[in-house]
Amino acid sequence: MKIGQAVKMAAKSIFANKARSALTMLGIIIGLAAVIVLVSYAQGQNLAMEKLYSSMGTNKITVYAYTWNGSNNVSQALYDYCLNLSDQVVGFSPNGNVYSQPTIKYGSKTLAPASHSSGGAVIVGGTAMSTGGENNYPSIYLGNEQYGMCNDYTIANGRDLSYLDVKNGNQVCVLGAATAEYLFNFANPIDQTITINGLPFRVVGVYAYKGDPSSAPANPEDTNSWVDQVISQMDQMILLPSTMTRYFNNNQPIDQYVVKVRSSEDLRPVITSLKTFLSGIIDPNSGSFGVNSDDVYKEQQGDATAMQQRFLGGIAAISLLVGGIGIMNIMLVTVTERTREIGIRKAIGAERSSIIVQFLIEAAMICGIGGLFGIGVGYVGTLILGKLSFNTILIPSPGITAGAALISVALGVIFGMYPAIKASGLQPVVALRAD
Amino acid sequence: MLIEIKDIYKIYNEGKESEVRALDGVSLQIDQGEFVAIIGASGSGKSTLMNILGCLDIATYGTYILNGTDVTDRSDRQLAHIRNREIGFIFQGYNLIPALTAYENVELPLIYQGVSIFQREEMVLHALERVGMADRWKHKPSEMSGGQQQRVAIARAIATRPPIIMADEPTGALDSKTGRHVLEILHALNQEGTTIILITHDNGIAATARRIVRISDGRIVADGTREEVGL
Ligand SMILES: Nc1ncnc2c1ncn2[C@@H]1O[C@H](COP(=O)(O)OP(=O)(O)OP(=O)(O)O)[C@@H](O)[C@H]1O
Ligand SMILES: [Mg+2]
Repeated sequence: MKIGQAVKMAAKSIFANKARSALTMLGIIIGLAAVIVLVSYAQGQNLAMEKLYSSMGTNKITVYAYTWNGSNNVSQALYDYCLNLSDQVVGFSPNGNVYSQPTIKYGSKTLAPASHSSGGAVIVGGTAMSTGGENNYPSIYLGNEQYGMCNDYTIANGRDLSYLDVKNGNQVCVLGAATAEYLFNFANPIDQTITINGLPFRVVGVYAYKGDPSSAPANPEDTNSWVDQVISQMDQMILLPSTMTRYFNNNQPIDQYVVKVRSSEDLRPVITSLKTFLSGIIDPNSGSFGVNSDDVYKEQQGDATAMQQRFLGGIAAISLLVGGIGIMNIMLVTVTERTREIGIRKAIGAERSSIIVQFLIEAAMICGIGGLFGIGVGYVGTLILGKLSFNTILIPSPGITAGAALISVALGVIFGMYPAIKASGLQPVVALRAD
Repeated sequence: MLIEIKDIYKIYNEGKESEVRALDGVSLQIDQGEFVAIIGASGSGKSTLMNILGCLDIATYGTYILNGTDVTDRSDRQLAHIRNREIGFIFQGYNLIPALTAYENVELPLIYQGVSIFQREEMVLHALERVGMADRWKHKPSEMSGGQQQRVAIARAIATRPPIIMADEPTGALDSKTGRHVLEILHALNQEGTTIILITHDNGIAATARRIVRISDGRIVADGTREEVGL
């Protein structure tokens, strides 16, 4: 029998058994689409985490060091030590936080802390950040002229803090993009004066947006992923010279610092050096210290993500298996009917090879069409899920798509061939008796 | 000699308690152009014998010479070829493919024979006409009565114009008028030179055959003309 004839025969069989063909395709479509969507979701989550990490600032070491007696020379000693490491360390800044949540005013606009927490807390790198809600109260940081650089902020307008601002204790500030937009709308904030707890601060600069300006800050919660929310949170900030600490936090000295290193290879050696140095100047009986890097945390997080991905991969494998069993089931359910058909075909003179070729083509056609639909559904599902979960255009990777399609089509073909391989070797009379 | 079987046994579950000797040492010779009716009680082994004669089944013991060549050591492929070219089957249970139309069912053996599509059309329609089913060529088996399905099955058997036709109870499901019509077709084919082997319960139908073989418990108990067999 010629191959063209076998193709025609297979097509005829597919159309003559519409229900069976449709069910088989459905099995493949569901199995394949599920795998594509699940794996793509895992990859989308990875991308989101990477986006978050790069927004948080890279190659960053956070140091916390204080002494009971509150002596301020730890800060100076650390600063000097970091200068010594200048081929590894590119930036150093105090990293203070104003905890008292003072009222911020500009003209008729007021920013006051929400009376109750309206959003959920998200833990990033061990720091809790509140998310969502109507609250756009900014975080107020205390740092020096390198604070912005250390935390990967770039100036969009005006200038950053200067060495002299810090040294002389100038009452100036740099605003995060979202905070500037809230307070000044489209007016130019530079050289305007805002008040914090009644103290005047002159705005010298505005940082560029880290997040997506359109999604900041008061958009409804559900249109944004928590990653986007956390990132836009970073745009709600005010940076003051670290010397301003004397007006806030009951005049307690800053005990947090941020150190920026040149590259990720420098992270661990610098952490070790800093620990050695701090253990030399801080007596454990009179103070304590800690040296940490989000990047190290990120590595651990990466492990967790890898584990999660293995987990999702497992789910994907299971859905592929379930889809495969579905395919197998519908194929096996019709084995009796098909066995009789094969018996008839053999009885009227079909060779074993023609029967196997016909079934092979038939299964390949059904599974091929089902596979295409499955990929289509998987892509649409991924796009929808990507929009809903990550607010980005998420597209399945071609490798995953091809792999999953190959496996489900192979399953369909194998089980579609099963009755042919089994029954075509029987005596016709045995195949005819099948029930 | 067209067909020659010698000491054929078909034994199911041999050696076990449930052993069945469906054929128990059958020897038979059939010449080209003969019209042979095989009769016997239900379960006597008629279908088993036809399946072996038609190369649909393999005997447990014994030899089978078809057209002068031994069939017992033929390959699967060669047997398919024999079934396709030499023999037309009419089964006890029609055995049409349910998903295919009458036309497509009749066309099937011609496709396996490699007949071109143009020749096929003529041969299929001719065969369907011969059994009076040409107007139903588009129908599927589920849309036809038992007798109509049987006639399509006959059309399929005769479409390739095989030298031998084997029919297992071809009139069993038919009323006497259509039954007689089917018998007439078989006789006409026989007139044209086709060898006919016909299995039947119906003594009246068997009586129209020139030669009658009676089987009982897997053995041939009588073989001859109507008078010799005692019908
Ligand atoms: N696969 C099988 N396993 C065991 N016994 C079988 C098998 N096939 C047939 N037989 C037995 O072989 C014997 C002959 O069966 P066969 O079908 O040839 O009878 P038959 O003469 O055609 O009967 P009927 O007139 O009812 O069609 C029966 O006793 C039957 O039970
Ligand atoms: Mg029978």
